[in-house]
Amino acid sequence: MSEQTSDLTKGLSRREKLDRYLSLLGPMVMIAALLIFMALLEPARYFRVSNFDIILKDAALYMPMAMAMTLVITTRGIDLSIGSVAALTAIIMGYMVKSYGFPWWAGVSIAISLGALCGLINGLIITRLRVPDLIGTVAMDLVYRGLALVLAKGVVLSRFPEEIVAIGRGAIPGFLPVPVVIGLSTLVLGYFIYTRTRLGRYAIAIGSNPEAAELTGVPVNRYKVYVYVLMGAMAGLAGVMLAGKLNAIQATSAPFFNLHVIAAVVVGGTSLFGGRGSIIGSLAGVLLLAMMLNALVTLRIEFFWQSVASGVVIISSVAFYTWMQQKDRDGQGSFKEALMSPENRRLGKFLLFLTLIIGSLFLLGWMFAGETTAVR
Amino acid sequence: MSPDLPPLIQMRGITKRFGGVTALEDVDLELNAGEVLAIVGDNGAGKSTLIKILTGVLRPTEGTIALSGQPLVMNSHSDAIEHGIDAVYQTLALADHLTPAANMFLGSELTKKFLGLEILDNRRMREEAERTLQERLGVTLRSMEVSTDSLSGGQRQAIAIARAVYHSGLKVLVMDEPTAALGPRETARTLKLIEAVREQGLGVIVISHSLDDVFAISDRIQIMRRGRRADVVNTRDSDTTSVLGIMVGAPAGQAQTDGASAHE
Repeated sequence: MSEQTSDLTKGLSRREKLDRYLSLLGPMVMIAALLIFMALLEPARYFRVSNFDIILKDAALYMPMAMAMTLVITTRGIDLSIGSVAALTAIIMGYMVKSYGFPWWAGVSIAISLGALCGLINGLIITRLRVPDLIGTVAMDLVYRGLALVLAKGVVLSRFPEEIVAIGRGAIPGFLPVPVVIGLSTLVLGYFIYTRTRLGRYAIAIGSNPEAAELTGVPVNRYKVYVYVLMGAMAGLAGVMLAGKLNAIQATSAPFFNLHVIAAVVVGGTSLFGGRGSIIGSLAGVLLLAMMLNALVTLRIEFFWQSVASGVVIISSVAFYTWMQQKDRDGQGSFKEALMSPENRRLGKFLLFLTLIIGSLFLLGWMFAGETTAVR
Repeated sequence: MSPDLPPLIQMRGITKRFGGVTALEDVDLELNAGEVLAIVGDNGAGKSTLIKILTGVLRPTEGTIALSGQPLVMNSHSDAIEHGIDAVYQTLALADHLTPAANMFLGSELTKKFLGLEILDNRRMREEAERTLQERLGVTLRSMEVSTDSLSGGQRQAIAIARAVYHSGLKVLVMDEPTAALGPRETARTLKLIEAVREQGLGVIVISHSLDDVFAISDRIQIMRRGRRADVVNTRDSDTTSVLGIMVGAPAGQAQTDGASAHE
């Protein structure tokens, strides 16, 4: 095996060898940084076996979606409806199991299949109606969320059968937690799809050069639909896992799934510009994300900061990988030189101007401030 | 070229109209096995339309195509490939993020059975790609595991050609502007690749704007002007000036006459 590997990397430059591991290296460095940070700030509460158990279960919840999202993003696509798909399918499962007495396995299978159907609808909207993926899936996010609200009407469905709870937070005695096993299985499945099947190969080709894929006879639209179907099914599975984990589900559940999953995938080196993705990188990304979200909780930072953190992670990792991909750095000069270019000076002045206006508006408001009324 | 052997490709009286516009009018084309035919002409002379008809992308309004004397009707590009006629596009149609082997087999992957599932046979594709590049085009890449965008223009060209010649039934290879985006060194390498394909007994059609390349590689030159075949010349018996003269529509020998009159 090692001989095979060395044969495969023979003739590659050092940069290319590094590139292969960059998607893993990036999140690993960030995980290490996070660990050091937490070791300094909250070692006692962060480094506990029970806490790592929580982190692993969180990561496991995101892994199936991150695996599918890696493929979606590799095709230059995006799916911003997965949180709503997860909530909708989990609520339908909840009703089937609780109100209609369906067995747990039927409810779970229905949830996953309905997720696949949602994905199919997304795929058809993108390929047949030619609605750009960003708009199409945001709009469908509203539709699926709306349907979930219509069905559940603010009710919290809870106390599921123990099998469903086990899917979310159970443990196989002497082995790993059930959700971790599910997460690892989808990881293996994703790696297999990515490297050994037409679906994975065509996802890369479509994202890399859609015209070339079309010219060489790849059924581009059909394979795009397949990728969205996989995404939907994995969102459905995540809905089941979430319902089991919380032993409750409501229409507003999973508000940040889109953001968190996309953050995990792009941190793991999958390019939003298509053609380049890494399932293993997404695993690292999922772990990093779960650890980061957990760190925020451990540090007793308000829940809503999670959304801020995920957004920052997305922007910084996309910017970092874009910078790494940039091959031609000629004539850029020093960093300082680039920063102080005439264009940037103008933008800097504009920023200063805007800051001054906002500052003076606050000042005016404060000067003319009257009686206060409590906000909350 | 024995007279009793029909040419590999014989296009007769090809006419193509798009609505009211006549792109091609009564054009003939012959291509023999083991020769390189260059097609030259100004923009809009009908080169691309003619080639699209030959590769099954377009259907002629009138006219016939024969392959080794047998009449040929094609409804799509895949029909053409099935009959052994394939094209390498100017853009090469390569997915930059895939390996050379993955590109060579894109759309027609080699597979094997695994637990009853059809999965990609990456190792065999890699070996076949390496062998095809080496044995048929004389190209060795520093590694088969690089992404295609890290290769040189000539190597990329080689992968696109290898994709076409891998299919054992290939008889005719059409190359659309193969050297347009290349520097001098890569151009020389690409011309060598075309040479290699010709030596294997295939008929090659090269469309090019570069008369230097045309004279370096072709056996015959078909000159197109305003949708018609203006002339076909043997490359050995011709030169750039006269081909240019025919291209722009000067009467034969006028370029020389002009030169002579300037001396008077």
